[in-house]
Amino acid sequence: MAVAGIDVGTKLTKVVIMDEDKNILAYVIERTGTDHKKSSEEAFEKAVEKAGLKREDIKKTIATGFGKISAPFADDEVTQVIAAGRGAYYVKPTARTVIEVGAEESRAIQLDDNGNVKDFSLADKCAAGAGSFVDAMIRYLEVTPDEFGQLALQATRAIPMNAQCVVFAESEVVSLLHSNVPKAEISRAIHDAIADRVAAIARRIEIKDDVLLIGGLANDIGFIDAMKRELGKDVHVPENYPPELVPAIGAALSAL
Amino acid sequence: MEVKVRPFDCWNDFKNYRMNYYKEYLEAKDKGGIRWAGSAWSFDPVPQGLGEDVYPLTGEPYGATAAFFKDFSMRALETIERKGAARDLCGYMRNYWGSVAMDRYLLADGSEIEPFPKPDFNFTIHICCSHAKWYHYAAELEGGVPTYAVDISVGPGYTLDDKKIEYVVRQLEDAITWMEKVTGREYDDELLIKAVENEAKSMTLWAKICKLNQAKPAPMEEKSMFSFYVLTLIRRSDERVVKLYEQLYREVENRVKKGIGALTYEQFRFVTDNPPPWPFLKVYRYLEQNYGAVSVGSIYTFGLGAAWLGMDEKGENWIWEPAPTPEEAGFEIHDRRSALWWTALFNLKYRASWQHEYSHWVRKQETYQMVKDWHTDAIIMHLNRGCELWNMSTLEVRDYLVNKGIPVATYEGNMADPREFDEARTFNVIDSFMQSLGIEKLT
Amino acid sequence: MVTVDELPEMKKFIEWFENRHEYAKKWKEKTGGKVVGYYCTYMPEEIMYAAGILPVRILGSHEPESITRPYLHDMYCPFCHDTLAQALQGRYDYLEGVTIAQSCLHMRQSYFSFADRVENIEWSYYLPFPHGVNNPHAGDFARHEFEKFKKAVEEWTGKEITDSDLDNAIEVYNRNRELLTKMFELRKADEPLITGLHAMYIVVSSQLVDKAEHNQVLESFLEKIENGQVENDREIGTRLMLIGSEDYDEELFKLIEYGMSYPATFVFEENCTGSRYFWGLVENNGDRLMALAKRYVYRVPCPAKDWARGDFFGRRRFQFIEDVIRDWNIEAVIIAQMKFCDPHELDIPSLREMLDKMGVRHLHLELDLTQPVGQFRTRVEAMIEAMGEEDLFI
Repeated sequence: MAVAGIDVGTKLTKVVIMDEDKNILAYVIERTGTDHKKSSEEAFEKAVEKAGLKREDIKKTIATGFGKISAPFADDEVTQVIAAGRGAYYVKPTARTVIEVGAEESRAIQLDDNGNVKDFSLADKCAAGAGSFVDAMIRYLEVTPDEFGQLALQATRAIPMNAQCVVFAESEVVSLLHSNVPKAEISRAIHDAIADRVAAIARRIEIKDDVLLIGGLANDIGFIDAMKRELGKDVHVPENYPPELVPAIGAALSAL
Repeated sequence: MEVKVRPFDCWNDFKNYRMNYYKEYLEAKDKGGIRWAGSAWSFDPVPQGLGEDVYPLTGEPYGATAAFFKDFSMRALETIERKGAARDLCGYMRNYWGSVAMDRYLLADGSEIEPFPKPDFNFTIHICCSHAKWYHYAAELEGGVPTYAVDISVGPGYTLDDKKIEYVVRQLEDAITWMEKVTGREYDDELLIKAVENEAKSMTLWAKICKLNQAKPAPMEEKSMFSFYVLTLIRRSDERVVKLYEQLYREVENRVKKGIGALTYEQFRFVTDNPPPWPFLKVYRYLEQNYGAVSVGSIYTFGLGAAWLGMDEKGENWIWEPAPTPEEAGFEIHDRRSALWWTALFNLKYRASWQHEYSHWVRKQETYQMVKDWHTDAIIMHLNRGCELWNMSTLEVRDYLVNKGIPVATYEGNMADPREFDEARTFNVIDSFMQSLGIEKLT
Repeated sequence: MVTVDELPEMKKFIEWFENRHEYAKKWKEKTGGKVVGYYCTYMPEEIMYAAGILPVRILGSHEPESITRPYLHDMYCPFCHDTLAQALQGRYDYLEGVTIAQSCLHMRQSYFSFADRVENIEWSYYLPFPHGVNNPHAGDFARHEFEKFKKAVEEWTGKEITDSDLDNAIEVYNRNRELLTKMFELRKADEPLITGLHAMYIVVSSQLVDKAEHNQVLESFLEKIENGQVENDREIGTRLMLIGSEDYDEELFKLIEYGMSYPATFVFEENCTGSRYFWGLVENNGDRLMALAKRYVYRVPCPAKDWARGDFFGRRRFQFIEDVIRDWNIEAVIIAQMKFCDPHELDIPSLREMLDKMGVRHLHLELDLTQPVGQFRTRVEAMIEAMGEEDLFI
């Protein structure tokens, strides 16, 4: 028997196929595109094929992210908070604080010793869109996402930048570019500003070790570094799976 | 377990009163009456001494009504923003200003009247950063309507002393002299005395009604309470309002006796804190229908409309017991000064919403005790971007309650700006919260 | 001849401004006295000063932070977040007490969390200062609250505040007000030597150090300016007035006065790190607490307390602004409002209307923790440029 978890996000659609012993048989990560239903359907087909299974082998599918609206073939849905929590506990059982930074949504989740969600907080209106903001900044600086993260590590000084409002932060970046500030320092300033903003969400819950960073931004080495600095503690990322896959894993677990 | 539910017998009476209220204000001038406008927190009995044909228009309920009719609200908000009003200002106030600036008046059924019926005077109070300035700017938009605001920022009720009361009373005495001058009418102290007594009756009755909701199943859910409590905010010194609350009290008491509930399935009880997002009351419906979750009250509906004992004398614990009426307190009201003294004392000491501006501690105790006394499972807090006064202390309260082991969910919104509410996100918070508590959806 | 910046007195003001915490710590070592942080300039500092306390104004550091977010909502102003952040980071670890004279809601929030969460705070006091400063009974009420405040200070410090202590405090504070007013008066000149940046350092440092000490340095500073020992090294350009919330962000002043393509100079700051702090003396006529109450109640009000009441249908602050624009020959106004500051936002539409009627150009900037310097530069330069264009056609 196998089950599936699907997480349709603004930017990426993630699918996980899992057997009844909680082994991940296959996963795919695809661009969501404009037609959510089509991309979720395609991603799902691809994952099933990758697992060497047929569609009818999947006994239950749970959707998260945009949920059933974008994946109507799913049997049920689970909220992102619960999915991320379950997925996080699966990939790192010692995780007690889960910080997820996606394209549009950031959240922090506190887990108890059994992996249940104890408390959570979401980004306030002003602080939404951290991931999209980073994407825009990468375009401004004309670098690749990898270079963007690496650059931050090369900075020799920290420039304070407005951390709580994307609109203000953006105009500050423009000012810095016009003043010929090196890209490394601008990258560091952006990473610090985002880390500051994300940490603000996390601080609303009790931050207990281990801290696990998930979501797309957890691929960014500059961001991981900035989060360590901001929280003053070690920050982990999933070791065996891409960080953005975690909620889909949680959704699959919810199907068991 | 399934419980009996039934509509309220007095529902239409409350509804009609509210419908007529806005009409009475509109038509006051036809019969030579007086119109005044001000915050719902104003000393509503005071202008009543000008005669029996004096009609108020209180700003917060008007703003909430405007917000409920989203189309009107959007036009009002955009109109006033074009005049330079900042978007983070009080949501009620911006709807009110917008209505004045558009010169359109909204009735409770959503119909619009042109022009906006200007008041003869504005009479308000000042406790948050906006109240008096709200009416100052409204008066400017209205072309200079005379305006008077009473400063009530004397500190929480448990620190009240005669000098503090005296400060407010003197302002009210001045206000009466000023009202006589502005309206050309002679002031009638007997009418004032009656109004002051009615005010106390309305507010203590509403407290007693709120207390009845401690019963399981809860006889009222909060959406109904919004329709009931609002009379304390639009004209609590009116004898008709007192009668309606007497009627409601009897009815709710009867419901409790007979085990009549608000929801067929009450599987989860919670309280809320702040004014709700008025354009999106479906949040409550969502909770009821999906989870059998009933909101049994809020700091807002209890604290604003009712009079409670509040903090004890030492300022340590909050007591959710109805405040005394003048009779019960043995306070004799016999002339203008004693009437003003009573209304000042009563509001400063017992109006819950005039207590928690002065420390986080008061709000923490007030909320904690409500969660306990109304036998609830959790609190759902509205981080209300539309009112910085009500939003005071909310995060500190959250922290306090979480540490006390009380489940807390927060969602962000705005009581009166439809643009600042994210429905999908809010439902997401609710689902996550319920799922994390292991509450199953009703099937 | 030297420039203002070269004067040792100016260097002293800047040093106090920059090393405020070190100053307070040294003051404690030297005197053995207590230091109390205060929020809002409605605080009757004289009462604390009379008890031998050093009152210091709680200020921020303009650095991004995330540690206040669990306690203060995001829609509360950057100033209240920034000030609390300082305390949570331990930068105010030398304070014994913290207090607030009732003002806006945002600062109150910050104060409550400060008082509750900072371990070294052993004494805190919420002073219900009246909001109705445009009404005739506010003086009596403020006096009553000042009396209680005085008693609380006496109980805490164990020191009786005598009439002569109060007289002395009032004298020292009045002297500082006189000197600061004089400093502002000097800026009426066609070629003022003191810029907005200088004035900000001078006024804000007076909120951070022993006033008697500040008086000495300020006296010497003004003497040198008046004696013609100081020369001007910059072009004055457009005469600007700053109106708004607390503003002690060096970057903003440096940008506008020293960093634009067009010269411009602030000749007046109507805010609580400027004139609103010190304008108006205490008229000590025996009832000392009443004299203090009247000074604080009837000073130029903060927008949080300035509203119509009965027969008075105006804003006292606007009347003051009108006078300043005339007397200081103001050419343009920068309205610098702290983001989310409701009291200012509530005044701004009417203020703009008044300035339009007066024919004074104005520009509204929203201040955050840090400022988008490039964007501000473009906007201020555009305003000045447009003023020049108008001249072409007049």
